[in-house]
Amino acid sequence: MKRLAWLLALALVGAGGWFLFTEKAPQGPYPGMGGDFTLQSAQGPVSLSDFRGKVVLLYFGYTSCPDVCPTTLGALATALKRLSPEELARVQPLFVSVDPERDAPRKLVEYVRYFHPKLIGLTGPLERLKSIAKRYGAYFRKALVEDSSFGYAVDHSSVIYIVDERGVLVDMIQHSSSPEVIVTRLRRVLHPGSS
Amino acid sequence: MRNPFPVAALALLLSAPAFAGTAAQEVQVMDPWAREMPPNMTTTAAFFTMMNKGAADHKLVAAESPAAGMVELHTHINDNGVMRMRPVKEMAVPAGGRTELKPGGLHLMVMKLKHAFKAGDKLPITLVFEDGSKKAIQAEVRRFGMTMGHGMPMKRHMPMQ
Repeated sequence: MKRLAWLLALALVGAGGWFLFTEKAPQGPYPGMGGDFTLQSAQGPVSLSDFRGKVVLLYFGYTSCPDVCPTTLGALATALKRLSPEELARVQPLFVSVDPERDAPRKLVEYVRYFHPKLIGLTGPLERLKSIAKRYGAYFRKALVEDSSFGYAVDHSSVIYIVDERGVLVDMIQHSSSPEVIVTRLRRVLHPGSS
Repeated sequence: MRNPFPVAALALLLSAPAFAGTAAQEVQVMDPWAREMPPNMTTTAAFFTMMNKGAADHKLVAAESPAAGMVELHTHINDNGVMRMRPVKEMAVPAGGRTELKPGGLHLMVMKLKHAFKAGDKLPITLVFEDGSKKAIQAEVRRFGMTMGHGMPMKRHMPMQ
């Protein structure tokens, strides 16, 4: 019985600590994941924190990705087109190329514009990209494709990350989700408490 | 590849029903389409469904296009959320069965395209089957948004000969 009381006390202290902690740094459903970063766009450096107050859709890929990336970016762009102008104004989509060897920031401009005018293309030094991807739980690795003239492919995860207006990672949309799913999940973040 | 059993092969051929056609005759290709490429890209992916109307299993073993430097047979392996693209030697179509090429799975990788294809264009592709028979198809180029849901094409059920 005494032991139970101790446990209860500990739990209360723990909860209090948690509360204090959350007061300082907003925590989402993925504690320890996500966070700020700075990369290069064709117009200069861009940080995730530049978009505080907006909901950011973040996707890691590369332009010579022939199928997975255009499928996801196409679904993302279709989803953005279904938002109201007011909603769209509160959203910032970002495409991070994990293939800096082939994707210079300038090359990304036309690529991202093809999908959506609001989409910004970013890249940076490989080591930085690796550390950002790791923090978001994104995976990518250069894979030599044998018996293929494709050169190399990049094995990669295909997840759309939703970062809320405070800069906190709040949702991950898995590969091959439809535009409807993306709209629904995005609206959940745009209008918290409404659904 | 040299067949080590020419006599056995000949016997098999002779024992097959007289009406059995070539793989290209027996495999129907439905709804062939290719993804419109973003600017400056010379690689795209093509998709379709193969239906084998025959009594024998068939295999797609190669593809070529007069509009491209090279076409390869590829697949994607979804390894716990990590997409790994790899070439495959063949795509089997079992007798009476169907094999679907679709985004995120089996696809034709069309490389070194000689010019940019835009939505509505037709990309000519020739499929080569295991018996050497060939089938020419025209893949309709589609922009994203012209495909439904998960990048699936709008089903139109138009068999192509």
